Amino acid sequence: MTLSSNGMLIRTGILAVIVIVVVAFFWFVVGPGPLDFAGGKTVAIAAYSGANPTGVPVEFAKDDLVTRGRYLTQAADCQACHTTEGGLPFAGGRAFKTPFGTLYSPNITPDRETGIGTWTDADLLQAIHQGISRDGTRLYPAFPYAAYTYLADADVLAIKAYLFSLPAVHNAPPANSLAFPYNQRWLMAIWSFLYNPDQRFQPNAERSPEWNRGAYLAEALGHCGDCHTPRNRLQALDNHRKFAGTVVQGWRAYNITGDQDTGVGAWNNAELTSYLSTGHATGRGTASGPMAEAVDLSLAHLSATDHAAIVAYLRSVPAIPSPDLPAPKAEPAPAAPKLGTPAGIDSRGQKLFAGACAGCHDWTGVSPLSPLATLTGGRAVNDPSAANVAQIILLGALRQTIQGVSIMPAFGSAYSDVEIAALANYVVARFGAKPSAITAEEIAELRRMQ
Amino acid sequence: MINLRINGDMRAVDVPGDMPLLWVLRDILGLTGTKFGCGIAQCGACTVHLDGIPVRSCLLPVGTIGERAITTIEGIAETPNGAKIQKAWLDLEVIQCGYCQSGQIMSATALLNVTPNPDDADIDAAMAGNICRCGTYVRIREAIKQAAKSV
Repeated sequence: MTLSSNGMLIRTGILAVIVIVVVAFFWFVVGPGPLDFAGGKTVAIAAYSGANPTGVPVEFAKDDLVTRGRYLTQAADCQACHTTEGGLPFAGGRAFKTPFGTLYSPNITPDRETGIGTWTDADLLQAIHQGISRDGTRLYPAFPYAAYTYLADADVLAIKAYLFSLPAVHNAPPANSLAFPYNQRWLMAIWSFLYNPDQRFQPNAERSPEWNRGAYLAEALGHCGDCHTPRNRLQALDNHRKFAGTVVQGWRAYNITGDQDTGVGAWNNAELTSYLSTGHATGRGTASGPMAEAVDLSLAHLSATDHAAIVAYLRSVPAIPSPDLPAPKAEPAPAAPKLGTPAGIDSRGQKLFAGACAGCHDWTGVSPLSPLATLTGGRAVNDPSAANVAQIILLGALRQTIQGVSIMPAFGSAYSDVEIAALANYVVARFGAKPSAITAEEIAELRRMQ
Repeated sequence: MINLRINGDMRAVDVPGDMPLLWVLRDILGLTGTKFGCGIAQCGACTVHLDGIPVRSCLLPVGTIGERAITTIEGIAETPNGAKIQKAWLDLEVIQCGYCQSGQIMSATALLNVTPNPDDADIDAAMAGNICRCGTYVRIREAIKQAAKSV
């Protein structure tokens, strides 16, 4: 073997290693973007043959800037994170407990001292597209700028016009309490380099206008993936498992891929539309916790055409099964309390259910009071982690739906961790397809997250 | 206007659809036999029947009832099991202060509709959602068994 061919071999080897490292870096560390699954060619909005997927739906197109901004602000669900429980809308201060410490959302009312009253258009565009605040500091990706980066400039400015039309609220939220090194905001520049594409939405030329509108709603505005897509170790969305479900703030955000048994593949379009627009679909369950909030503050206010667009888009997301979830049990439990309860379940669960729950939810799980209170067929009772059942027992529900007020009392301060675990396991065993074994320690952990 | 079938009569009420049935019964129609206890479906005092099924009227939006037949304590004596339960209640002097007893009688009647010969476990499960601060539970259990035996 000659010297030069040996050198060539080494060079080729080094090159191969570099290629493998780069490919592995992009595959494992960076991963695909939220829309990469769709394939095909993207084009500039002006070059797309169909209707412009950004902005407001056609029935709102003639409204003034503030009204259009209100629609887009609702579609982006700004209010949910920028409002405390019982606090003034958009005045900030909501706590986000992360494994790295607690973050507080800022005030985005037009108050000049504590809000964004002095921000220019360019300031807001920079914050929303790049995650950089007006003073140049980096924002944490709890603010979903890696999704909002896809928003069209005109839509960001319409949102700004709406926010600036609201009363200024003087409210300075608490300072974040993050541990080192997470309190080093400049590190987010590296995160952004890896995970924020900093590019506006581009329609997929091979998809329908409805699909593209749905993609804009779900990815740029609604940022569904921020709850429903698992995260990697750097807290970026792992789109290898897009919409396959994960746990957020102690609540399980379920699989919304097209998987038949564990996603929403078996739901028909009317059921999906009903769930998005009202937080309930007959036989499929009722939204609670963060999803109820997303429905009541955001999704319920969207137009029928936009609901249909989101459904069309969801349908195109590749099915990924959640191996720990069973197919939901559709049959109601027996009317007689003695029947239908599997052996080996802590009997305190049944006693608590009899006293506190059966009055509304019935022993069958089909509520005679309200379809929203029907347990049968819902995902939460068909989840052997019992996480969401435990959460709603602890926290209850107070929903201001567009149909009226809907309440469930909270039992967190009435019952001990042992009792709530027993009750949650009883409910899952009686109404679900697979029993659960949530422990008192896990209930205590859920309480700590509140 | 919302049309309701209450104790066999048709009643039309001009109320918002999200008003709880209990308010309609007590404040609009003057059927004050059904009591307000807790307002969050945790005490059972407001229990009425919809097509024979016990429901907590404090949390039942009146607009969702539709065609279903409402029976209140005022009408329960017209049903065979309701009459038996009321007689047993009187024979055994179940009632003490009485505030919860409309709800107790409605739940006990609903139990007999489904389970004609209930044992202690059936009674406990069906009646657990009805709270009595006077502690009449022992007499309630006895009266339900007596009513079940009566012809």
